[in-house]
Amino acid sequence: MISTERSQSQSPRSPTAAGAPFLTISVTDPVKMGTGVQSYISYRVITKTNLPEFEGQEKIVIRRYSDFEWLHDRLAEKYKGIFIPPLPEKNAVEKFRFSKEFIEMRCQALDLFVNRIASHPELKQTEDFRIFLQADEEKMDRARSYETGIFKKPSDFLQMFKDVQSKVSDVVLGKEKPVEESTPEYEKLKNYIFELENHLAEAQKQAFRLVKRHRELGQSLADFGKAIKLLGACEGDSLEKVFSEVGSKSEMLSVKLQREADNLLFHFEEPLKDYVRSVQSIKATMVDRANAFRQHFDLDQERKYKELNLEKLKFMNPEKFSETEVEFRELKADSEEATKRFEHIVAVMEEELARFQEQKTADIGLAFHEFAKGQAKLAKDIADAWRSVLPKLEACSTS
Amino acid sequence: MISTERSQSQSPRSSMAAGAPFLTISVTDPVKMGTGVQAYISYRVITKTNLPEFEGQEKIVIRRYSDFEWLHDRLAEKYKGIFIPPLPEKNAVEKFRFSKEFIELRRQALDLFVNRIASHPELKQSEDFRIFLQADEEKMDRARSYETGIFKKPADFLQMFKDVQSKVSDVILGKEKPVEESTPEYEKLQNYIFELENHLAEAQKQAFRLVKRHKELGQSLADFGKAIKLLGACEGDSLEKVFSEVGSKSEMLSVKLQREADNLLFHFEEPLKDYVRAVQSIKATMVDRANAFRQHFDLDQERKYKELNLYVSHFAFTHFWLCAKDFQLTRKFEANVFTFQDIPNNSCGLRSL
Repeated sequence: MISTERSQSQSPRSPTAAGAPFLTISVTDPVKMGTGVQSYISYRVITKTNLPEFEGQEKIVIRRYSDFEWLHDRLAEKYKGIFIPPLPEKNAVEKFRFSKEFIEMRCQALDLFVNRIASHPELKQTEDFRIFLQADEEKMDRARSYETGIFKKPSDFLQMFKDVQSKVSDVVLGKEKPVEESTPEYEKLKNYIFELENHLAEAQKQAFRLVKRHRELGQSLADFGKAIKLLGACEGDSLEKVFSEVGSKSEMLSVKLQREADNLLFHFEEPLKDYVRSVQSIKATMVDRANAFRQHFDLDQERKYKELNLEKLKFMNPEKFSETEVEFRELKADSEEATKRFEHIVAVMEEELARFQEQKTADIGLAFHEFAKGQAKLAKDIADAWRSVLPKLEACSTS
Repeated sequence: MISTERSQSQSPRSSMAAGAPFLTISVTDPVKMGTGVQAYISYRVITKTNLPEFEGQEKIVIRRYSDFEWLHDRLAEKYKGIFIPPLPEKNAVEKFRFSKEFIELRRQALDLFVNRIASHPELKQSEDFRIFLQADEEKMDRARSYETGIFKKPADFLQMFKDVQSKVSDVILGKEKPVEESTPEYEKLQNYIFELENHLAEAQKQAFRLVKRHKELGQSLADFGKAIKLLGACEGDSLEKVFSEVGSKSEMLSVKLQREADNLLFHFEEPLKDYVRAVQSIKATMVDRANAFRQHFDLDQERKYKELNLYVSHFAFTHFWLCAKDFQLTRKFEANVFTFQDIPNNSCGLRSL
C-alpha cells in the first residue's frame, strides 16, 4: 500500500491506517549520546493517536536501538507465524557507525519498523508495543534489561531442552535426520524464499556498487573540470573561454552525479536491503514453523505408540492401566495443543504471505520507478550540458 | 589543418599535401613477430607518390618501432630548431604491451608521425626520410644498427667532450652556472611551454581516469542488469517482465558506456597525450637552442679574450723586435765608435780619410 499522506519524517514506504481511528508514529532527531565506546544514538519517538488503548493524544519518548530490538524480540516470541517487520542491522563497521548517512538510514529503517507494526492488524494491539511507545525511560530500561540481558528467558531454556530431546529421540528411534514438513506447496514456497534471498542480496550488492561508481565518476569529473580550467587559463585568448566553460560544466555535472549517488543509496539500495531483511524475517518464521511441526509430529508419534501400549496394558495389567491412562490423557492434550499451534502458524503464514506479496510488489515497484527516474534525469542533464558547449567548440576547431 | 580527404587508415589529424604532387603514407597492419622477450610488432608502411625523388609510384616496406626511432633521431640531429614530430612512448608495462588497444594507439601515433614529416616543407626532403620509406629491410637494419646501437655516433662523443670542456671553462672562468639566454620574449615563451606541459599532462591524466570510470560504471551496470534479470525470473508474474526489461536496459547501457570509454580513449585522451609529446619535442628544441646559445656565447667570450691577448702579444712582439733591432744597432754603433777610436793608432787609415 503506497501511502498518499506522509508525515515529513516518515519514510515513503510506511503504510498508514486508513479511516477515522489513527495511529501515527515517527522516529526522528537522532542524537549522539555519551562518549567513546559507550556512546550510542538516541531517537525521538512521537506517537499521535486517538485510539482509546493509548494514554493521550500525543506522546514523545526517547528510545535507543536496543529498545527497538527488545520490541522485535518480544513480538517474535509471542506471534509465531507472523512475519515480524525487520530491524536494520545491529552492528556496523566502527568508523561508519556515526556517519551522517548511516545514522539517517538507520533512523528511516526504524521509522519503517514501528509503522509496519502499527499497521499490522494483530501486532499493533500488543501490550509490548504500547509499552514501547509510551513507557518512561526508567520503565523501558527495566523491561529491556530483564528480557534481553545475559539472563535468558525461561522459555529459551525450555526450547533448548526440547531441541536436545528431539534430537536424542531421533537417534534412539533410528532417525538421523529430523522430520520435515514436505507438502509440494510448502516445498515450492521454501525454494522460492531461498532463491529470492540469494537474488535479492545480489541485486542489493550490485545496487550498492552502482552508488559507488556514480560517486567515483562524479569525483573524476570534478578533477577533470579543474584541470581543464587551468589549461584554459594557461592558453589564454578564445581557447580560455571555451575551456573554462567545459571545465565548469564538468564541475556542475560532478555535483549532479554525487546527488544521484545519494538518491540511489536512499531510494533504491536501501529499499532493496530492507527487502532482504524482510525475507530473512520470513525465514525466521519458517524456522518456527519447522520447530512447531516437529513438536507436533513427535508428540503425535508418541501418542500413537502409547495408545497402542495402553490397549495391551488394559488386558494384561489392569492396575497399571489406570495410572498409565492418566499419563496418556496428559500426553494427548499436549499433542493436540502442539498440533493446534502448528496449524495456527500455517494458517497465519498463509495470510502473511498474501500481505507480503502485495506490499512487496508496491515497494519494489516504487524503488525501481525511483531508480529509472533518477537515471533518466541524470542522463538528460549530462546530455544537455555537453550539447550546450558544442557550438562554441565547433567554432574553435574550424577557425 | 584538418584534412577533408582521408585514407581509411590515416588518423584524422594527419595533414596531406594539397595540389597535383602528392605523397601519401599509411602505417597499417600491426603484426606480432617472434616470441617471448624477443617479440615485437612490425608495421606495414605504404608510400604512394608521384614525386620524382622517390623510386616509383607505390612502395611497401616493413618497419618496426626502432626504425621510426632511428628516423626521429636522425632528423632531430640534423634539423636543429625544427620541432620534430613526436613518437609514441617507447616502453610500456609488459602485460599491456600487446593489448589490442595499445597496438592500435601506437599504430595511429606512428601514422601521424610519418605524415607530419611528409607535410613539413623541410623535413620531407631529407634523405633519411626517403631511406625510411623505401629501403629494403637489410639496408634499413644496417642503417639502424649503425646509428642507434651501443656504438655511439662520433658526433655524440664530440658533444660530450664539448660539454665537459664548457663546464671546465665555466669553473675556471669562475662561473658555476651556465649562462642562459634571457630576453623578455624568450623568457615568456619558456614559461608558457613549461606551464603548458604541466597543465596538459594533468588534463591528460584526468582524461584517462574518466576513461577508467566509464569502463567501471559500464561493468557495474552489466552485473546489475544480470542480477535484476535473475531476480525477475525468480519472482515470476508481472514483476518478471518489468525486471527483465530493466535488466536488459542496464545491459544495453553497459555496452554503450564501454563504447564511449573506447571513444574517449582514442579520440580524446590520445590527442591530449599526443599534444603532450609535441610540447616535449618543443622542449627538446629549446635544449638545442640553449646549447647552441652557450656555445655561441662561450666561443664569443673566448674570441674576445684571445683577441685581447693577441693584441697584447703582438705589441710585445713588436716591442721585442724593436728592442732587438735597437740592440743590434746599438752594437753596431758601439762597434763603430770603437773602430773610430782606433784610428790614431792606425795613421794610414786616417790619412786615407
